[in-house]
Amino acid sequence: MRAILFIAGQTLLLAVLAPAVIGYVRFVKARLQGRRGAGVCQPYRELRKTFGKGMVIAESASWIFRAAPFAVIGATIAAASLVPVVSASQPADRAGDLFVLAALLMLGTFFLALGGLDPGTAFGGMGSSREMTVAALTEPTLAIAVLTLALTTGSTSLGVIAGSVLGTPAYAVGPGHALAFAAFLIAMIAETGRLPVDNPSTHLELTMIHEAMILEYSGPYLALIEWAAGIRLTLLMTLAANLFVPWGMATSLAAPAVAAGLVAILVKLGVLGLFLAVLETRVAKLRLFRVPELLALSFTLALLAAASSFFTR
Amino acid sequence: MLLLALVVLWRRHVTAYITAFRTQSIVLAFVGATVAWYGRVPELFLVAVMVLVLKGWIVPRVLSGIETRRQGARELHPLLNTETSLLISGALAVAAYEVSRPLAEVMSLATRGGLPVALALIFVSLFIVVSRREAIAQIVGFLMLENGIALLALLGAYGVPLVVELGVFMDVLLGVLVMQAVVYHIYDTTAD
Repeated sequence: MRAILFIAGQTLLLAVLAPAVIGYVRFVKARLQGRRGAGVCQPYRELRKTFGKGMVIAESASWIFRAAPFAVIGATIAAASLVPVVSASQPADRAGDLFVLAALLMLGTFFLALGGLDPGTAFGGMGSSREMTVAALTEPTLAIAVLTLALTTGSTSLGVIAGSVLGTPAYAVGPGHALAFAAFLIAMIAETGRLPVDNPSTHLELTMIHEAMILEYSGPYLALIEWAAGIRLTLLMTLAANLFVPWGMATSLAAPAVAAGLVAILVKLGVLGLFLAVLETRVAKLRLFRVPELLALSFTLALLAAASSFFTR
Repeated sequence: MLLLALVVLWRRHVTAYITAFRTQSIVLAFVGATVAWYGRVPELFLVAVMVLVLKGWIVPRVLSGIETRRQGARELHPLLNTETSLLISGALAVAAYEVSRPLAEVMSLATRGGLPVALALIFVSLFIVVSRREAIAQIVGFLMLENGIALLALLGAYGVPLVVELGVFMDVLLGVLVMQAVVYHIYDTTAD
């Protein structure tokens, strides 16, 4: 019973924190660009506003269009329940490991792409095809980058990986560690549609990847999809922080350790968000045909990391 | 060092190639100095200094001279596109790791963990030479191959005898000077 409460609490934490993370990154970016910024809680207000709006659905849309937002948010929340947020010894390890996580993320991407294709608009199809190109290279990279750690720690459960890196750093942290971290960061940036792969605040349809797929959505469906995108970013950032830099995480389910783990993950999310904001301010968006090059580079880095940790055990 | 070879597969401008090669040679010099310090082989200090001077300074200057004398900073167009090149080099690196596993078990030196990297660098450099169309890119690939072989010698046997190293350096220098003259006439190996 306590395990279920813990899993539910952790998932709820990620879901509730997601708009704040997005708002924080936007706020830092605004400040770096000399603007005042809208405040960290702005995405909550936007979500509330969007949930209250009416929906306009195209006549050519089928049941896939109506089902896609629920599939996306469902898959993303299910993936979020597997991520070790505050503790390394989490009961969710019995439910799924890194392959389940990658599959759930891919399920969300798949339904989002279908939902973009469904109404038959040109921009939706363009966004879906671009998203599939990017996803085809980021999902294996994410999996292999985490597999690098799994190889040294001997388990593919996310909590166990984090706990192993925490407990035996001299054994688990090797040259593959840094390479896998770099590959994971590049794949995370591509997967969540941040610069330099995709500009999240663009209004030009020809430069969109993620936003082009959701152009037809409005009202509560749009709010669900945007929330799911925020949860995806938060969960990938939490993974990056807790798998590669797990110091500060709790190793048990005791209350004081969990509280310390909570503070630690908030600090790590803050640092990662700052890094993302600075990166977005510094680099320009990559031309679309260069994106597979960047992703192939990250995949090769992940492959090198996995090879080095597999063969030098 | 392997990552710098990957940079050659990723970027498209010749200056990036030359910078990657220069950085790689500097890193090689550091590796040589480290091996000289920990392995207590003083000749390797001299080798490290020569690598730094020759491959870290003279050769990149010659290569930049070739590049500036050629009019127009054109992009490079390799035979294979970038993504495929990177994936193939990843596969080559995994192959290098697999191939050097029995060798690493037989060796007793402390640097045997770096053997796969040196072998992977050799494979990737060969791939660079094979998959480039322009002469200057092939030259950079060949020089990286030299770096890879030097790294393999350093890690595998704490360096070859000093006479052999001096001979290799002279070969490299003469080769680059000859190539400097030849490249001006054959810019790329396809007829168009």
